[in-house]
Amino acid sequence: MARQSGSKKKSAFSGLSVVASAVLLFMVALPTFITLAVGLLPSMVAFMFDRSQGRTMSRCIFGLNFSGVAPYIMEIWQQGAQTVGVATQEIFQPVALSIMYGAAGLGWLLYLAMPPIVANVLNLSAQRRVSELRKKQRGLIKTWGDSLIKEIDRSGS
Amino acid sequence: MERVSSNKEKPGLMAQEAEMQKQDVSDGADEQDGAGEKKDSRAQTPGLGGEEPVASGGGGRSVEIGNFRVFSDLRLPEYDMGNCKAYAADNLRREEGGAFALVTDPTVPTRQDLIRFLTGVHIGGQIDLLDHEIAHWPLLDRKTMVLFYEKPAGGRVLVPGEKQKKIDEHDFAKVVIEPLMHVLQAVADKGLTHRNIRADNLFFGDPMAEKVVVGDCCAAPAGFNQPLVYETISRMTADPAGRGLGSVLDDLYALGMTIAALGIGHTPLEKLREQDIIDVKLSKGSFQAVVMNEKLPLALIEPVRGLLCDDSDERWGFSELHAWIDGRRAKPVQSNTERRAARSQNISGKDYYTARSLAQGIAKNWVNSLAPLRDGTVEIWLRRGLADNDRAKHMSEAIRQLQWAGADKRAAEDILIAKSIIILDPSGAIRFKGFSAMVDGLGSMLSYDVQHGRGPQRFADVVVRDIPSFWFGRQGGYSPEVQKLQQAYKNLRYYIQQQSAGYGYERCLYAIVRNQHCLSPMIEKDYVVDITQLLPALEKAAADLPDDSWPVDRHIAAFIATRLEDDVEAQLLALQNPSDEVEYSRAIISMLALVQWRHGPDNLQNLSHWVARLMEPAVKVFHSKARRERVEHEIPKLAKRGNLVELYNLINDEQERRKDQTEFITAVEEYSEAESEVFDLESSGPARLELAEKVGQQAAAFASTMIALLTVSALFLMHIW
Repeated sequence: MARQSGSKKKSAFSGLSVVASAVLLFMVALPTFITLAVGLLPSMVAFMFDRSQGRTMSRCIFGLNFSGVAPYIMEIWQQGAQTVGVATQEIFQPVALSIMYGAAGLGWLLYLAMPPIVANVLNLSAQRRVSELRKKQRGLIKTWGDSLIKEIDRSGS
Repeated sequence: MERVSSNKEKPGLMAQEAEMQKQDVSDGADEQDGAGEKKDSRAQTPGLGGEEPVASGGGGRSVEIGNFRVFSDLRLPEYDMGNCKAYAADNLRREEGGAFALVTDPTVPTRQDLIRFLTGVHIGGQIDLLDHEIAHWPLLDRKTMVLFYEKPAGGRVLVPGEKQKKIDEHDFAKVVIEPLMHVLQAVADKGLTHRNIRADNLFFGDPMAEKVVVGDCCAAPAGFNQPLVYETISRMTADPAGRGLGSVLDDLYALGMTIAALGIGHTPLEKLREQDIIDVKLSKGSFQAVVMNEKLPLALIEPVRGLLCDDSDERWGFSELHAWIDGRRAKPVQSNTERRAARSQNISGKDYYTARSLAQGIAKNWVNSLAPLRDGTVEIWLRRGLADNDRAKHMSEAIRQLQWAGADKRAAEDILIAKSIIILDPSGAIRFKGFSAMVDGLGSMLSYDVQHGRGPQRFADVVVRDIPSFWFGRQGGYSPEVQKLQQAYKNLRYYIQQQSAGYGYERCLYAIVRNQHCLSPMIEKDYVVDITQLLPALEKAAADLPDDSWPVDRHIAAFIATRLEDDVEAQLLALQNPSDEVEYSRAIISMLALVQWRHGPDNLQNLSHWVARLMEPAVKVFHSKARRERVEHEIPKLAKRGNLVELYNLINDEQERRKDQTEFITAVEEYSEAESEVFDLESSGPARLELAEKVGQQAAAFASTMIALLTVSALFLMHIW
């Protein structure tokens, strides 16, 4: 119970820190804030709807989404005058939106594709282990003959 | 023409022998033709009894047995001993002196202790036993014990049905009694008994008829060939085969009857039937029975009375006999000490006045005697008629025990009757529903029953119902002989209660009859008496017997267990469970190997091949296929060498077996672990999918985070450069 309340506190604290960062960012660097707010929109949506343990889906989408947004933030930061106009001009270009949201989409695809891949890997490794064990058993039978089977049956029954 | 010299001729093997003799049977490999003229001289031994030995046949066939050549067609009936036939024999090692061979009846055990004592020893008054051999006898087409005796210089002293050569009454002591006393004393000094002293087993030891010698005493169980009249009151009620070894007192009684027989010129009471002899001896006492029916010479009355005393404590011994020979007056004895009741006890319409005669009456009327025993009539008779409160008390105790009998009331009633007989005649034979044997004659009785179609059941009934224990309990005073018998009996009871091979009646038989040959059908004809003969006999049998039979049956297992010096209880334990083929075959091979290791011979080709064929289950003692193949490969090689010990060692390498066992256990564990892992892997599909989803999502999140970090890092680096 204490742990649960602790984790709640932690998430409340991190949520608060995000809001505080956002407010700070809004006040200090509004163009960057606008770029992040628009660019990370898929991540925010995912964050809202993701109910999985550890929010792996939103983390997955966020990682690639942020990778798509990061170049545009760098571009804004590289210009001398950081204005809201420049920021909006840059981010509302179709290519920029496609890159940012496409990256988020790739994150989502990665989230969908990864479990089957892992399942296949695990299955293959299990099959290989089973065939190794069967081979070992065949070897034992070859060495010990019927008495081994009889003994196994006897001890089994 | 064959003259029957025995008082009772038993049917059986010897009758077959006579048939075979007529049919001119095959001689056997070692038989030789052409005894030629020798046989005529051999047939001529004019006896003082006035007869000549009859040579039947005339083919001149001979068999070499040890140091003797035996002429199988040259019978010497005057030396026959019961069922054992005598043949002319030639001593190949010694020129002087004639010999004859006594071919024993293989269905009756010989007396090993006496054979060992008498062989090669000269005892004045006893016919010389030159040698003994177990040999193939062509007329029986089997092996049997052949005893070689020095032919006595004179003939038989008394031939039933013929006139006896008169021995002067005054020479009696010198001619008859002294030589016989010498024999009895010599035998008694060795703790043995002769038990074949009788008038028609006496020969004149010299042509002048100055001394007698007593004939064979080894060819049959103690007292087996004795006419009933020569047996003491205690032993006469036993079957001939069960009369028991007895003591020197029994020999002295027989000596007394022999003196009486020689005095009157024929066997006393010979005109009476056996039952009448029993009745008259029981009712009147032995001495009275003889003097009532026969006319004894006056000079012999005193020793005959002394020796025929029915009370063994009162019976004359050697000192009294010596005193009588020296002309001194011996203490007078009461010939019949049996107490006679004032009134009779009736069983099946017959009146009995003495306890012993009543015991015999009960034994002969088994079923009808139950009622008077159960309702206490006999007990009252003992108390009032015989004034014997002690016996009456024991009788009432026995009756009371009947009330405690469980479900098997019939058996309890039989036990009551058997106990009653022992109470009435404590020194007499154990009698149980037709079975009648002395405790020291149980073994020979069992042997006789088994070999003459009666089977072991009667003996087993007596032992299982523990009748001998009651007999031991009724023996008064301390007697080392009785103690020894009691100890031996305890073992018998244990053996008979065990059902598995190596025990049962077979074990009893070989344990108590030292000269009992092995009765296994495989080697019965080879007359295997000694453990050293066993494997050669099996080697011979191995050539003919079917491959699937085992070389050790119940008889052989019991024979080995008794005669081998080593303890084979572990092997016998394994034989208890024939369904465990591995242990069963190992036990059999182990027993045979042990016998070969102890007694040889070194090369047993046929038996080794036989054992090798049966080793298939024993090879299974190894789990490893490689080891099994190696053993299977080795078996034929070792079998060729004929060494059972090597064959056994092959399957009984303890170190190798332990290693095999340890490795096998490890292999079983490995196999089981692999099996359970495979099962886990095969049954964990849904769990694995669940795991894959979780891990996949985490991996995707991680990869995405890493990409983000890399992108940011790359952008910074690009900005810096």
